Amino acid sequence: MGKVMILNGSPRAPKSNSKIYSDIFRKYCKLDTEYFNISKTNHIELCKKIGEFSDVLVVFPLYADSLPVTLLNFLKNLELNPPEKKPVISLLVNCGFIEYQQNDIAVKMMEQFCKKNEYKMGSVLKIGSGEAILTTFFNVLVKMKIRRLAYSVANKKYKTFTLTMPLSKRSFIKASTKYWDNYGKNNGVTHEEMDTMNIES
Amino acid sequence: MSEKMKLILSDTNLNIKPQNDTTFIDLSSLKITNCVGCFGCWTKTPGKCVIRDDAVKVYPLIAKSDRVMYISRTKYGGYDTVMKTMLERAIPIQKAFIRLVNGETHHVQRDVLPKSATIIAYGEISDEEKEIFKDLILRNAYNMNFTDYNIIFTSEEMLEETVRGEVLKWEK
Ligand SMILES: Cc1cc2nc3c(=O)[nH]c(=O)nc-3n(C[C@H](O)[C@H](O)[C@H](O)COP(=O)(O)O)c2cc1C
Repeated sequence: MGKVMILNGSPRAPKSNSKIYSDIFRKYCKLDTEYFNISKTNHIELCKKIGEFSDVLVVFPLYADSLPVTLLNFLKNLELNPPEKKPVISLLVNCGFIEYQQNDIAVKMMEQFCKKNEYKMGSVLKIGSGEAILTTFFNVLVKMKIRRLAYSVANKKYKTFTLTMPLSKRSFIKASTKYWDNYGKNNGVTHEEMDTMNIES
Repeated sequence: MSEKMKLILSDTNLNIKPQNDTTFIDLSSLKITNCVGCFGCWTKTPGKCVIRDDAVKVYPLIAKSDRVMYISRTKYGGYDTVMKTMLERAIPIQKAFIRLVNGETHHVQRDVLPKSATIIAYGEISDEEKEIFKDLILRNAYNMNFTDYNIIFTSEEMLEETVRGEVLKWEK
């Protein structure tokens, strides 16, 4: 039986959406899973462990249209410290915008990493509206998709999946404005204050 | 908004002498840690990053520039660490709020000048990586308020010469 190593590449890993996505994956995956946050100081430790697993699921957010530096720096270290036995690498990437396709560049960068370092790519799940979707009733769609992702990894029937909120872009923009207004409100900051044109002044 | 300027952000020090309206910043000489994704710059202290390191001096300059030149090594078809760290730390110049740009959802900009961008990617870059990098800059253009851009791939040896040539074009 295989074993899945889940690596969270979010810079806010302990409190991230990626953590919640990872937890859902663990719930549905019939293989044993072990979860790790990528931190600034644990790269070597993770590189040493990675060879013990049949599969790795890298869970991460899209940052400035590509891989967050937290993950990029880890990959650079993994390149320098490869395991003897290489696991299959699957991805669960989420972005804030509604178009899950905005994750494509990050996926292609991961493909480059795999190609260069001779890892086989497994399944991919690209989530759009990933910042807010977990707080809505579309949460059930997330669970359904991640369940399929987990099944594909466990059965080595690797596939690409996609998901976003089934809303028109106009409705998404409205909903996201509400989401951010609430975020500000919890910090005692109004819509008008968040809407400032000022930068550092 | 105060007067326009031109900005060169580089991940390495270069021996170039741009004109007075151009600021050259060697990012590798600055202390810039990575964005921690707290969204403080949108929802706590809007327009200001809560991490008070050198990045807070750089993103206001990005906002004020109508011409930018980003000079960076690449990795896996994207920006390498030094440049990418800075670009991630530049999100205070956008608002949390979302709008449509060319039919896609993107963030609303604060007081950010539309800009013409020259992107110089250097090092050994495969053809596949070049294609990914071009796709990346196309996406960046929507998110970073580029009106137009030009991507140049060059070797490390040719870098200074390439940059000098591009800076000269700005001065014409
Ligand atoms: C610095 C920064 C850059 C981001 N860049 C993008 C982007 O280019 N496109 C996008 O759709 N979302 C972007 N996001 C939004 C995140 O991808 C989104 O909030 C995600 O849900 C965060 O996941 P996490 O909680 O697992 O870190 C960015 C967020 C931050 C903090």
